[in-house]
Amino acid sequence: MNKAVFEPIRIRASVQLCVCAIALVSTASTALAHSESGIAIDFAGGFAHPITGFDHLVAMVAVGLWGAFLGMPAIWILPVVFPLVMAFGGALGVLGMPLPGVETGIALSAIALGAMVALAAKPPIWVAAVLVGAFAIFHGHAHGTELPVGADAIAYSMGFVVATGMLHLSGIAFGALSHWPAGRIAVRAVGAVIALIGVGYLGHFI
Amino acid sequence: MSRRTFFALVTSLIVMTTPAYAHSPIMGIEGVLGGFLHALLIPEHGMSLVALGLTLGREEQHRRRYGLLVFTASLVAGLLAVGLSAEATFAGDGLLAATGILALLLAVAWMPALLYWALIAVVGVAFALDSKPDVTATAELARMLIGSGLGGALALTFVAEGSFLSRGPAQHIATRVLGSWIAAIAILDLSLRVVTRISTG
Repeated sequence: MNKAVFEPIRIRASVQLCVCAIALVSTASTALAHSESGIAIDFAGGFAHPITGFDHLVAMVAVGLWGAFLGMPAIWILPVVFPLVMAFGGALGVLGMPLPGVETGIALSAIALGAMVALAAKPPIWVAAVLVGAFAIFHGHAHGTELPVGADAIAYSMGFVVATGMLHLSGIAFGALSHWPAGRIAVRAVGAVIALIGVGYLGHFI
Repeated sequence: MSRRTFFALVTSLIVMTTPAYAHSPIMGIEGVLGGFLHALLIPEHGMSLVALGLTLGREEQHRRRYGLLVFTASLVAGLLAVGLSAEATFAGDGLLAATGILALLLAVAWMPALLYWALIAVVGVAFALDSKPDVTATAELARMLIGSGLGGALALTFVAEGSFLSRGPAQHIATRVLGSWIAAIAILDLSLRVVTRISTG
C-alpha cells in the first residue's frame, strides 16, 4: 500500500528535478573573452564598478545616510549633486587629466561623511552640497582613470551611474530609521563605522 | 504543472534573456516597425526622449504643445536630410551633448527660454540624423525612416504628457534625480567616446 501511495509522488519529484536541471543547463551562458584590461565593459561591468571598491561603496552609502539624516530637501539634493559632480570628475579621469591625492581624498570622504552622520551634524544645505560635491570629484576621477577605453560606453556609463544611485538609495533607506530613537542610534553607529573604515584606508595610503 | 516547476521555467526564461545592444540589427523586423523599434531601442535615443519628455512635461500646455511641434518639425527635416543621403558622422555625439545639457537643466530645475527651443530643435535633428538605418534599398530606407519618425514623436508625446499629468512634489524630485543620472551618463559616455576616438584614430 505504501508503495502505491508514494510512487506517484516519486515520479512527480523526478519530473520536477529534471525540469529544474534542464532550466539550470539552459541558463548557462557563453564564456566571453575578457577585455584588454580584465574588466567587463558592458552594463554589468559598469554596475559592478562602484560596488566592488569598498572605500567608494561606504562613502556613497554615507551620502544617502547623511541626506536622510538632514531630511528635506537634502535627502534628494545630495544624491543629485553627487552623480553630476562625479561624472565631471570621471570625465577628467577618462581624458587623462591628473588630480593629486585621489585615494587620500576618497579616504577623507569616508571619514568626513561618516563623521557627519555619527555626530548628527546639520550644516546649511549648501555646505552639505559643496562638501559632497568636492568629494565626488575624487570618486569620479578614480573611476574615470580605471574605465577601459573601447568599452560599450553608453551601457558601461548607465551601469555605473545606476549603481551609484542605488548605493545612495540604500543609504537613504537605512537612514530612514533615524525617525525612531533606536534607529537614530543605529544610523549614527553606522556613520561611525564608515568614518573608521575611512581612517583605516587613510592609514593604508599614508 | 506544479507551481514550483512553473517558477523554475519562468526563472530560466528570464535569466536566458540577453541585453539589446545599440544599433544591432533587429533580425526579422524590417520596414516601418523596424524603424519604430530602432528609434526606441537605442539607449542614447531612449535617454534623449526621456530627458526631452520630462523637460516638456514641466511646461504649461501652450509651451509643451509648441515644443512637441518644434521637435516633430526638426525631426521631419532631419529624416528628409537622411533620405536625401545626408551624412552626419557626429550626429550621435550631438544628440548626447544636447541630452546632457537638457538633463543638467532638469537636475537644476532651470530652463532659459531661448535654450529651450534651441535644444528641442537640436535633439530633433540629431535624433533623425542618428537614425539612419544600414539598408541600401530606397523603399526600405523610406519605410524605416517613417517608422523612426513615428516612434520618436509618439514616444516623446507619451513621456511629455505622462510627465505633465503626474505632476506633483514626488514627480518633481524624481525628475531632478533622473535628470542628474541622465546628465552623468551623457558626460561619461561623451568622454569615453572622445578618448576611444582619439586612441583608435
